[in-house]
Amino acid sequence: MLLQLNNIFKWVNSGGQRIFLLKDINLQVEEGEFISIMGPSGSGKSTLLNVIGMLDTFDEGTYDFLHESVHSLKEKHRANLYKEYIGFVFQSYHLLDDLTVKENLEMPLLYKKFKGSERKAIVADMLDRFNIVGKKDLFPTQLSGGQQQLVGVARALIANPKLILADEPTGNLNSQQSEEIMELFKKLNEEDGVTIIQVTHSEQNAAYGSRIINLLDGRKVEI
Amino acid sequence: MLKNYLKIAWRNLLRNKSFSVLNIVGLSIGLAVTALILIWINFEVGVDQFHEKKDRIYEVYNEYPIDGEIWTWNSTPKIMGPTIKKDYPEVEGVSRYNYDDTFLFSVDEKRIKSTGTIVDPDFLNMFSFPLIEGNIKTVLEDVNSVVITETFAKKLFGDQPAVGKVVKIDNTDSFKVTGILKDLPNNTGFNFEFLMPWAYLKQKGWNDENWGNNSIATYVLLKGGTDYKAFSEKIKALRKTYDKDSPDMVTFLYPWSRYWLYSEFENGKEIGGRIDLIRLFGIIAAIILIIACINFMNLSTARSEKRAKEVGIRKVIGAEKGSLVGQFLGESILISFIAAVLALLIVLVALPPFKTLVGKPLSLDVMNFWFWLTACGVILFTGMLAGSYPALYLSGFKPSAVLKGTFKKMKSPVTPRKVLVILQFSAAIILITASIIVTQQMKKVQDRQSGYSKNNLIYTMMEGDMEKNYTLIKEELLTTGIAESVTKTNSPITATWSNTWGFEWKGKSEDNMTLVHRFIVDDAITKTMGLELIAGRDFDLKAYPTDSTAAIVNESMVALMNIKEPIGQTIKDNGIEWRIVGVVKDFIMNSPFQKVEPMVIEGAQAWFNVIHIKFNKEAATAKSLAMTEAVFRKYNAEYPFNYEFVDQVYAKKFDSEKRTGKLVSLFTLLTIFISCLGLFGLASYMAENRIKEIGIRKVLGASVQSITKLLSKDFLKLVMIAIVLAVPISWYLMSKWLEEFAYRINISWWTFALAGIFALMIALLTVSYQAIKAAIANPVKSLRTE
Repeated sequence: MLLQLNNIFKWVNSGGQRIFLLKDINLQVEEGEFISIMGPSGSGKSTLLNVIGMLDTFDEGTYDFLHESVHSLKEKHRANLYKEYIGFVFQSYHLLDDLTVKENLEMPLLYKKFKGSERKAIVADMLDRFNIVGKKDLFPTQLSGGQQQLVGVARALIANPKLILADEPTGNLNSQQSEEIMELFKKLNEEDGVTIIQVTHSEQNAAYGSRIINLLDGRKVEI
Repeated sequence: MLKNYLKIAWRNLLRNKSFSVLNIVGLSIGLAVTALILIWINFEVGVDQFHEKKDRIYEVYNEYPIDGEIWTWNSTPKIMGPTIKKDYPEVEGVSRYNYDDTFLFSVDEKRIKSTGTIVDPDFLNMFSFPLIEGNIKTVLEDVNSVVITETFAKKLFGDQPAVGKVVKIDNTDSFKVTGILKDLPNNTGFNFEFLMPWAYLKQKGWNDENWGNNSIATYVLLKGGTDYKAFSEKIKALRKTYDKDSPDMVTFLYPWSRYWLYSEFENGKEIGGRIDLIRLFGIIAAIILIIACINFMNLSTARSEKRAKEVGIRKVIGAEKGSLVGQFLGESILISFIAAVLALLIVLVALPPFKTLVGKPLSLDVMNFWFWLTACGVILFTGMLAGSYPALYLSGFKPSAVLKGTFKKMKSPVTPRKVLVILQFSAAIILITASIIVTQQMKKVQDRQSGYSKNNLIYTMMEGDMEKNYTLIKEELLTTGIAESVTKTNSPITATWSNTWGFEWKGKSEDNMTLVHRFIVDDAITKTMGLELIAGRDFDLKAYPTDSTAAIVNESMVALMNIKEPIGQTIKDNGIEWRIVGVVKDFIMNSPFQKVEPMVIEGAQAWFNVIHIKFNKEAATAKSLAMTEAVFRKYNAEYPFNYEFVDQVYAKKFDSEKRTGKLVSLFTLLTIFISCLGLFGLASYMAENRIKEIGIRKVLGASVQSITKLLSKDFLKLVMIAIVLAVPISWYLMSKWLEEFAYRINISWWTFALAGIFALMIALLTVSYQAIKAAIANPVKSLRTE
């Protein structure tokens, strides 16, 4: 088992009222799963993803990740945990505009204090694997959306994470680019055994996954 | 990692060119100003600190209560030095210093005037002025020995060896050069080209043992290990034993190493001195640097939304807070490094004019280890200071918030940024009013009627045979038509050299201790100087031979004497009854900033030092000068003809205030400039920040004009607050400053109005550029960005 959420609540107080963002979420994810989170706008999809990714906290409940109790960990420890095991992919790519493709890929390795030669080898390997060697010295703004997201996925993968969290990875892409990215996810999941959790609006994309979780007003619902 | 940071920082700089330029230019000006002022301070603090024995050298001072207040001064009787040396075993050496004297040196046909002084042989043992040639123990032993500086030796003897040569001094005495001094360094208060032994003064009969004649400086070198406090107690009552006239006058030793920066006394207490000005400009430098640094902080945090995304991404892919703080600090240190390089260039370019401005021989020693250490220290400090707030602020962002795009800054009514704009503009407005008031004051004083005619008027000091041949010289100048009028006096028209409270007149009250100036002239004073006679007549020795005991008084003197009919009255001075024959309008001999003090112009009884010549106004000045020189050469062949134009000497009276005025204007400009840089950056940030609001307003039908107004209004409000804050402060400060001058302007309300309007206009210009740019932008574009 990769992670387990038990009775997760998250709320904000607004005008004396408590508004629930997540309400009693229970979720168990096994290694190698490919899960899609669906639901209308404001249903808490991204919040749930952020909680899983440890970027956001929750107010009640327990969260175990690889047998560590996330809810009782210190901030720094938690950061180490997600740095080690989780890669993020965003709707708007979130590449660093001031760095080239190659340098963007190298970034996570720098923060993990890999040696120079190692970094070079891993980056070269990744460029090769995603077929973007020719683009390595370009800046993100010089690439198309699809290519940028490709770099985004490559960056998420570079430190060899167990889990990829993707927040509407194809939201800004056209249908052909979307398909390419989803195919890539599928391949990663099936061939490399990477666990993937994605947030999506599209039934078509959701169909790539092995399981769908539907959210409505912060609650898990069955359809 | 470091390489990566540098790369990002560098690309960031290039990408945001205008931001980088604002930041770097603002910071480099701040750094340059600080550096210039530090160079100056470093100079002043270092003056006369190179003497090896400086901590054991003391200057003899006196203290005496007059009218209930303790007066402190440093001139001593000539007998003081030898007495101290004789009576106190703690003393290692004593040297008297007979203030600077000018003598004529002649070698063969060469005649050169030089300034130097007469000292005791211990002088060279006490102070570190090394000899290049000559034996330090014996150079000043012989009566007719003289020690000269390297440069002066070159002037006198060219490349010939100077030691052993004979020079004639003032055409009377022959001296042997016994030693060559290394040229005096820039950073000393002493100014001499030669030193002569005290024995010479004795030989000439200029020495006296009168305890009442306090006219020279006396330096004392205490033996190592002497307890200064105990010694002070011992020497305090020195005059009780020797000085019959003022036995209660206190003698004390002032640590000589403090004389340059301190040595101003009030009521017996050291109250400062040059250090005050140094502190003031030190504070100004710090303020400018801090304003520049805070500008930097402001601009950086203002751009935080742009950097927020980067922070979020970095955190998500594994950056820790520490490394982000390091990154942002690194960036600001990089910027401050670039700014420092630019500042160094500015300093190199600005140092010569700055040197002239402050009137000091400043230099930048780029080979000095301390210079580089300080530079690195300043770069690091500035970088840290300027970068600390943005670094901590930025690195604290929560990635989930910034990446979702929900990140927006809180809007509080008083943000640090607003406070800063207010402070900057308050400083700017204070400085603007200061500039206006200083300029007005200068103009008022410069326009003030001096009360005499400075045109075509020169003076020359009496030297050599001038005294003897005066009648011939005067006669020739007048008959050849070179001069309209010639008068000899005891001091130049641009300064009084003599005053006393000893004048007596009918009806003077016993306790009247008003100081009255004494100006001694021979003849035709109002004609030569162009003074305005109110009553009576000018001196005219031909028509009235008794005019040698006549006096002319000025209006202030008449007021002091409180009499209706001054003409014919007598005033007693030096045992002579001076008969008043004329009254002149007040004229300015001393400071044009102060009121004219009472003065008595006495007739030709006493001694003379100066000859004034009023040229014929029909003739060209250059021609008159040449002809005058010929006359003087004829009657005073041994001396070169030196002269001063009275109008030029008069203009020098404004030097110090002009300097203050220029420095204030300079700092005003810089403060305004740096403040505007900051304002410009903030305005651009604001325009960017409100881009969506502007878009919506435009879509709803707002005009460009109304949006420009909307955006500018906020800043103008801040400037208004700054005006309200600044006006009372600057009114207070400038009133204080003006108090120093008896002759001064009244501060009028429009000065502040003008300064306020000026500040508003500058702010408006700065802000409106950004505001208009934002207002004319296409709303579709800005709305699409969300």
